[in-house]
Amino acid sequence: MFFRIESANGLAIYEQIVRQVKFAVAGDALLAGDMVPSVRELSKDLAVNPNTVARAYRELQAEGVLAPVRGTGLEVTAHAAKHCTAERVALIRERLRSVLLEARRSRLDLDDIRSLVGEELSRLEKTAPEKNAADKKGKNP
Amino acid sequence: MNPVLRLDNVTKRYRGQTALDGVSLEVPPGVVVALLGENGAGKTTTLKILLGLTTADSGEAEVMQLDSRTQGDEIRRRVGYVPERPTLYEWMTIAEIGWFAAGFYPSGYLQKYRELVQQFELPADRQVKQLSKGMRAKVALALGMAHEPALLILDEPTSGLDPLVRREFLESMVDVAAAGRTVLLSSHQIGEVERVADMVAILKEGKLLAIEKLDDLKNHTREMTLTLNNGAPYLSDMPGEVICGRVQDRQWRVLVKHLDESRLESFRSLAQVRDVEVHTPNLEEIFLGYMQADEELPKGGGR
Repeated sequence: MFFRIESANGLAIYEQIVRQVKFAVAGDALLAGDMVPSVRELSKDLAVNPNTVARAYRELQAEGVLAPVRGTGLEVTAHAAKHCTAERVALIRERLRSVLLEARRSRLDLDDIRSLVGEELSRLEKTAPEKNAADKKGKNP
Repeated sequence: MNPVLRLDNVTKRYRGQTALDGVSLEVPPGVVVALLGENGAGKTTTLKILLGLTTADSGEAEVMQLDSRTQGDEIRRRVGYVPERPTLYEWMTIAEIGWFAAGFYPSGYLQKYRELVQQFELPADRQVKQLSKGMRAKVALALGMAHEPALLILDEPTSGLDPLVRREFLESMVDVAAAGRTVLLSSHQIGEVERVADMVAILKEGKLLAIEKLDDLKNHTREMTLTLNNGAPYLSDMPGEVICGRVQDRQWRVLVKHLDESRLESFRSLAQVRDVEVHTPNLEEIFLGYMQADEELPKGGGR
């Protein structure tokens, strides 16, 4: 998989790596059994501190997305896809929530917001109809 | 674990000009630490005092438990140092300069130097005076790294270098860190620092304003943009520790440390506060905030 690290992003770099691995798993760019690059390889490849990569991998292991393979490195676990898809929904929910909060702060009332959301949903139905489940694409967080 | 380097209340003046003013810091082994500051903030002076190339007027400095004041020679033998403008013998070839330097270090130096020369794709038989700036920088880096020092000190390592060479420098730093060794660098390239550093130290006019883990610094610093109602007075009771603030018409932009979320909510509901936007700043914004820190916030609010 390819990573994109934006150092000027407010999001910590380890968090960017964590999210991108999860999105890659959710979007089928990484499949169960695929190996991720070693800490040293990835840190050199991205020119980021190795402790940062190690921290991201620790977090992904703690969440059960990655698991060590004896003596060789880390691989994507069998149940990672399910977990990561759920994570992606959670992230989208979080972003939706902050947009709604912004709408609220702009002094829109709930009915205004509802009709805005309704309009956008029906536009979405026309311009980007649902595709079959195999064609889910992960967008970079 | 013993710190790799330590400054304790170090002060240095040059002809009445204060270069360092009571600076204390400690760096544990195995981290990449970056010194940030404007030109003249005291970054190079800090490095030189640690290396024993200049002495502090007062305070203590040590590197790997060696006293910088009296054991500078030994310190310089043990650490790798790449100065901002490396002085190299112009008439030597790249191969010769490595052979020459090897005389000052334990055996194994030349072997490693040759490997680095190859890794950096340097022409071993070319004279130093015929090298480009990027190549010279890489020679200096190879010379500083060939004894595999426990501490690598780089003064503005990538300034003025092209993107490819900068990338190679970054990769080398990452490699050193991956081997569990320590890197101390001074830099203006904040984006690069943000990628490679574990810790940052911010210097301004000789004073150390912050030394922290980069993650912590980013986690507890927030930028608030407040929109106040017309004529509202300045709010002195911010829901966090103010680093700096600026005002523009009826908006305030304030950089705060340790933003208190619960106080922020009650802050939002104040009558004179129209809106509060909270943004997670990047290192550059945090750094600039610290640089503007002593510019007083004007009293009294929007017009």
